[in-house]
Amino acid sequence: MRIIKETGGPETARVLDQAWSAPETFALLPTKTSLTAEWVEQALGAIPLELQSGHFCLFTSGTTGDPKMVVGERRRSEKLACVLHAVQDSEPVKETIGTLPLSYCFAFVNQWLWSRVSQRKMIHTHGLGRPDLLLDVLAQAQQAMLCLVGAQVPTLMEHCAGRCFPGIIRIHFAGGRFPQERLLDLARVFPSAEIFNNYGCAEAMPRLTIRRAGEAEVATNIGRPIPGVELATDDSFALVFRSSYRAVAQLENGVFRRITEEEWVPTGDLGHRLPTGDWELQGRANEVFKRYGEKIAIPQILTMVNRQWRGSALLYRETDAMGEEGVVLVLSPGPTESHVRALLQAFRKEQPRSHWPLRIESVAAIPTLPNGKPDGKALRQSPGLQVHWRQRI
Amino acid sequence: MTNLEKLKSLIVDVFLIDPSEFRLDLRREDVDTWDSLGVVSIGVGIEETFGYHPTPDEARALRGVQDIVTLLTSKGIAFHE
Repeated sequence: MRIIKETGGPETARVLDQAWSAPETFALLPTKTSLTAEWVEQALGAIPLELQSGHFCLFTSGTTGDPKMVVGERRRSEKLACVLHAVQDSEPVKETIGTLPLSYCFAFVNQWLWSRVSQRKMIHTHGLGRPDLLLDVLAQAQQAMLCLVGAQVPTLMEHCAGRCFPGIIRIHFAGGRFPQERLLDLARVFPSAEIFNNYGCAEAMPRLTIRRAGEAEVATNIGRPIPGVELATDDSFALVFRSSYRAVAQLENGVFRRITEEEWVPTGDLGHRLPTGDWELQGRANEVFKRYGEKIAIPQILTMVNRQWRGSALLYRETDAMGEEGVVLVLSPGPTESHVRALLQAFRKEQPRSHWPLRIESVAAIPTLPNGKPDGKALRQSPGLQVHWRQRI
Repeated sequence: MTNLEKLKSLIVDVFLIDPSEFRLDLRREDVDTWDSLGVVSIGVGIEETFGYHPTPDEARALRGVQDIVTLLTSKGIAFHE
């Protein structure tokens, strides 16, 4: 099986183009990865003969840090790229600007494969790793589409301060929290852009739902399933899906298994259907828990924090001295005393004490995974972590 | 910092009230955040700040700032500086 190691930029795209046209199944490995060569070799070795042509493999370490491999069928993903073209109203888009690694399913399908299928240009950048180059590309963009993860927004807005890029006409967000609270800032910088909240997961390869930013007022509203996708919840509100474009197999925790047509596949999120027909996320299954008998949903706390704080904000779980699970709020960059005060006042006003963070901490920069999402594991060991406030409990 | 200033700082920090709201006759019913978890927090805070660990019964019996002053005074912590 062919293994393509992502090197970044047009070279990877050229190699991918060749690999996509060849019958042999290929695997695309991220540039930066915690996956060992042995793990990858074992994972690829588990792929049965019938999947060794016409497919492709992507890898994710996810925010949980547990490595996973998903196997996609090229034909299905091409079909998805066509569906995305329609539902994302991409006909006017002439080019797409890459800021994320191509080995990340969102960028792979929504940008690289879409550009191939729709015969549009893809412009490769080093993303926020080289903001000067990215700003040049944004300035020269003409009817371009940008794909971002929400965690990139605070840094992007800092670099874009006072600038305006009318050549961007579509911005797609996926992979983590939708930056609903920053829509006005985004509209100032990208005045011609229509913004979309896309929801999915690697097993969905990757898209499940979409909504235009203006169609709801809360970040957790993920809109409606795209054609070919069904969503449902089980008794414990775990969000599950069936999709014509889903991955055909996955390897997780050392177990390789086929994903069948009929099965409802867990997304790892909790959610529910609103009376309007839209779906709303309640958080990752591990982001909703009880504390002193009260239900804590991390996304809801983050929504409140993001109304007060323009930088990056993250919550991680920790057990307090009473043995109850709580959350620690990490801000970046470091807040002033008045920022902390304002946040605490917001907690006092809007949340019961059980929802208050155990601590408010800050780091100079939130560590990220190669796909731009926050790296929760590295965060706890970040050097220079400062504590600004703590609950005495 | 006097003990009264320390107590003010503790009350502001634990109940997230504005410093201007602090007064000696502040009662538990005046502070919406002085709930059951707040009782635990003020107990921990008193121990951290003044070195005296109130029993759960003592912490529950605190009906206001003046009760804290009375409790700590009875343990030899002076508030008349």
